[in-house]
Amino acid sequence: MRGDQAPIPPSPTRWVTDTAGFMSAEAAHALDAQLEAYERATGHQLLVYIGKTTGGVPIEDWAVRAFEAWKVGRKGMDDGLVLFIMADDRKLRIEVGYGLEGQVPDAIASRIINEVIVPKIQAGESDGAVTSGVDAVVRALGGQGLSNLPTTTPPERAPEERPFTIWHLIILGIIGIFFLILLVTHPSLAIALLINIFASGRRGDWRGGGNWGGGRSSGGFGGGFGGGFGGGFSGGGGRSGGGGASGSW
Amino acid sequence: MGSKIALLAIGAIVLIVIIVGLSASGTYNSLVRLDQAAQAQWAQVENAYQRRADLIPNLVETVKGAANFEKDTLTAVTEARAKVGQVTTGAMENIANDPAAFQRFQQAQDSLSSALSRLMVVVERYPELKANQNFRDLQAQLEGTENRITVERMRFNEAAQAFNTKRESFPTVLIASFFGERFKPKPYFKAQPGAEKAPQVKF
Repeated sequence: MRGDQAPIPPSPTRWVTDTAGFMSAEAAHALDAQLEAYERATGHQLLVYIGKTTGGVPIEDWAVRAFEAWKVGRKGMDDGLVLFIMADDRKLRIEVGYGLEGQVPDAIASRIINEVIVPKIQAGESDGAVTSGVDAVVRALGGQGLSNLPTTTPPERAPEERPFTIWHLIILGIIGIFFLILLVTHPSLAIALLINIFASGRRGDWRGGGNWGGGRSSGGFGGGFGGGFGGGFSGGGGRSGGGGASGSW
Repeated sequence: MGSKIALLAIGAIVLIVIIVGLSASGTYNSLVRLDQAAQAQWAQVENAYQRRADLIPNLVETVKGAANFEKDTLTAVTEARAKVGQVTTGAMENIANDPAAFQRFQQAQDSLSSALSRLMVVVERYPELKANQNFRDLQAQLEGTENRITVERMRFNEAAQAFNTKRESFPTVLIASFFGERFKPKPYFKAQPGAEKAPQVKF
């Protein structure tokens, strides 16, 4: 396990975050609006995060933990992608959610970094580097680029139906009756039992988060989706597994 | 009078049995859930390693193309790759629950890691390879895969730790040992000696 953990900043509230003054405010604002529109059109959450430094941690470690903490992409679809730029470290990384690894494989991410972004940064065009980098990502995802965003509404994911049969009802009823009797006859026992059941269930859920925990607090499908528009970015419960590419300049 | 007391006693016993049974099954279920989480994460680890193994034939072919590339380095990679194949097909079933098989698995994978990182150091001396787009793509894929392995290994360790902590805590440990083999403690991935993380492929 990774020992010293550099702090991950809280989830960004916009699609483009620049804490290092790397981009001009106008360019950042324009790109942010485009990425917001992109999410509305396709459902994919694409973020740009520009910081100063990871504090000595490899950018790969930092990126995967930030992605996990911010839950970029929709739960179950994992269709998020973040372009991280660490201005003082002179390092950058494209971290790709599980669900987009097919469209943005490592080799493509690496080409975007080394052939699009890095040359522009070296030429002193920070705004152009970020914007054309994101544009290349959008094209890799099958879009026409940032200037031609599709205007269709995103395919809304139907909430998963949980089959609730008559049997569930009967069993629940029996348990309920039993519990009521217990509550009347032995109130303290009943409460202790209740606490015990809840505690063991909760704890299991929480730690079991290893695999599915990402969306636990996001309120299910499209958690960051409804609230996201107008109000700013919020993660939808997506995950990444270290896919993407890194580079430096 | 006497029968009333007997009835009360029986009632109390039944109640205790039910309560113990309920909390035991709750504990059992949370063990099962954590076990499943660790197994699922183990599958992710295997995927990442498999992905790397699949890259190697292509990588070796491409590197071979370079004028008189060092044979030894390539042979080392091919052999390590073959060994990995043997280990994984041997006891695929329950590696995550079998410490000995787990260790063999990790050893084989780690020796493939170091063979690959040696290869990538040697590649430095062949500018024609580094100018080759196909090779650069493979290199990016290899880097990405090594990073995935690191991530999935770390997440497996976390899932295994969650399971083991639950398993060893009281009173879960009583139930876990009652089921014997079903809930064996899970092994962890250890950092390679001399390296805190999977070898960085540097170019």
